[in-house]
Amino acid sequence: MPIVEPSLVTVKREEKLELDGIDVSGDWNTFLEPRVHTDLDLKIVDWVRSQPQGETISRCWQCGTCTAGCCMHTDYGLEEFNPRYFIYLAQIGYEEELRKYAQTIWRCVSCNKCVERCPKGVKVEEVVHTIGTYLEVSGGAPESPADRFDRAYTENLLARGVLDEAALFRTYERLEGRKTPARDLLRLGFTMLLSGRLHTGPFAHRTRGWRRMRPVLTKILEEEERARRARVEAPASRARGGSPGRAP
Amino acid sequence: MSAAPASRGPSDPVPAYYPGCSLDGLGKAYEVSCQIVLDRLGLSLDRIVDYNCCGATEVKNLSHDVSVALPARNLALARSMGRHEVVAACNGCVYSLTRANDAVGDGATRARINSHLSAGGSPTYDGEASVQHVLEYIRNRAGLDRIRGAVRRPLRGLKVAPYYGCLYTRPKRYTGVGRVPGTDDPEHPVFLDELLEACGAEVIHDYPAKTICCGGGHALSDLDVSVAFSASVMHEARRAGANVVATICPLGQINIENNLDRIRQAYGEEAILPVSYFTQLMAVALGASVRQARLKDNFSRPDLFLRERGFS
Repeated sequence: MPIVEPSLVTVKREEKLELDGIDVSGDWNTFLEPRVHTDLDLKIVDWVRSQPQGETISRCWQCGTCTAGCCMHTDYGLEEFNPRYFIYLAQIGYEEELRKYAQTIWRCVSCNKCVERCPKGVKVEEVVHTIGTYLEVSGGAPESPADRFDRAYTENLLARGVLDEAALFRTYERLEGRKTPARDLLRLGFTMLLSGRLHTGPFAHRTRGWRRMRPVLTKILEEEERARRARVEAPASRARGGSPGRAP
Repeated sequence: MSAAPASRGPSDPVPAYYPGCSLDGLGKAYEVSCQIVLDRLGLSLDRIVDYNCCGATEVKNLSHDVSVALPARNLALARSMGRHEVVAACNGCVYSLTRANDAVGDGATRARINSHLSAGGSPTYDGEASVQHVLEYIRNRAGLDRIRGAVRRPLRGLKVAPYYGCLYTRPKRYTGVGRVPGTDDPEHPVFLDELLEACGAEVIHDYPAKTICCGGGHALSDLDVSVAFSASVMHEARRAGANVVATICPLGQINIENNLDRIRQAYGEEAILPVSYFTQLMAVALGASVRQARLKDNFSRPDLFLRERGFS
């Protein structure tokens, strides 16, 4: 059996080695290091599956169709953006490895090519976002720019029922800690305002009857957030021994 | 979980129209030119008055139920207007409206979403509204023959790259594209090609960026990506011989145009092409003036481009 991963072996070549008068020169130390992970935790996949956006994760059979067409992986060329691998790591519960990608997962642009093409009906885009949410909720991963934007966007639309783009840009730039918005955003804002394409301020359009809708939706938002955290803190429903980890 | 139904269901003489935040604001030129095209083709739509934002692709990352309830409220309003058909012009809106339809196909989810809706004073949703993009609506309802007959100024000299963006066909599980009769091809859509050809333009049928993402979802949070993708739309279009890009999504249009300066810096002037909503080009072909189609609204100035070619 050839050694398929020579990088994992430190071969020690003994040119002239004699033990009790017997010549034992040659290659030593050719065994692979044991690579069995014992810290795998299926809590991750249980958690992802418990979320409505993540329940299709268990259908994944690791064909890699999602990644082959992924615009971040293939078009933008961000090689470590590998949805198939993220799902694999979540499925086997290899949290330590998954955490290495905490700053990568959020970059999915939601183009939905993966969802379109998945032969198994995995909603890959939503599953990948859910995995990213797990890393944040369970602690450790800081909130990503995309998550800050999602939050700013949601709060903005919940305020009046429709978006106030000017306020959204301002809120987001503030969340990012930028005091003055980028020049192009200012220009966009002014052009749009002057040509009557930007509705902002107290007299802007609002959805009639939104006053009743808003507290209902805000409550759901808070409840789901609480439930996500509670579930992540709960002890794992079951534990299982490790299985060997594989390279992507 | 249910998948998109195999048919569109009943059709309305005048379907409901969901404008969404962008057509009412940043994408005003889109709405105005859409209206011109619909008028000239003898089609009409009935606006959903008290609509709310559909939540696009952002809200679902925070809450599943809110991300279904927001679009479901709009669909419920359309149903209370007595309509079965809803037409939206923004790819993001089409995505979230059809995603809500997929979610409420499950009885338990529908009951839960409806209890949220009634608690908020909205009509409840029976799951019976079918959603389509305005591109599909124009192409199917008017038909290519009627469009050809209505063209007053064929778009001669225009080599148009039709840019579909992400969520017009994708994912077919939600939009029903490719499974419902009369819908586009999910991997290689052609409806926009057909419409522009009917308007007398030369259409660039094949270029690699035809259905890529514009990066608009991360326009603020991941600038590098949104610049790279919007540049590649124009760049690939030009490489294939186009001199103008036609879009069908306000987010794509605004994202590409707002990145123009950065694209110029990074890739040079030759990466820039005029970008226009497909309805603006169609409106001009159907006899509207460049000013009426609000082509001057676009930062990439397709108005100058069209005037150079003799359109007024």
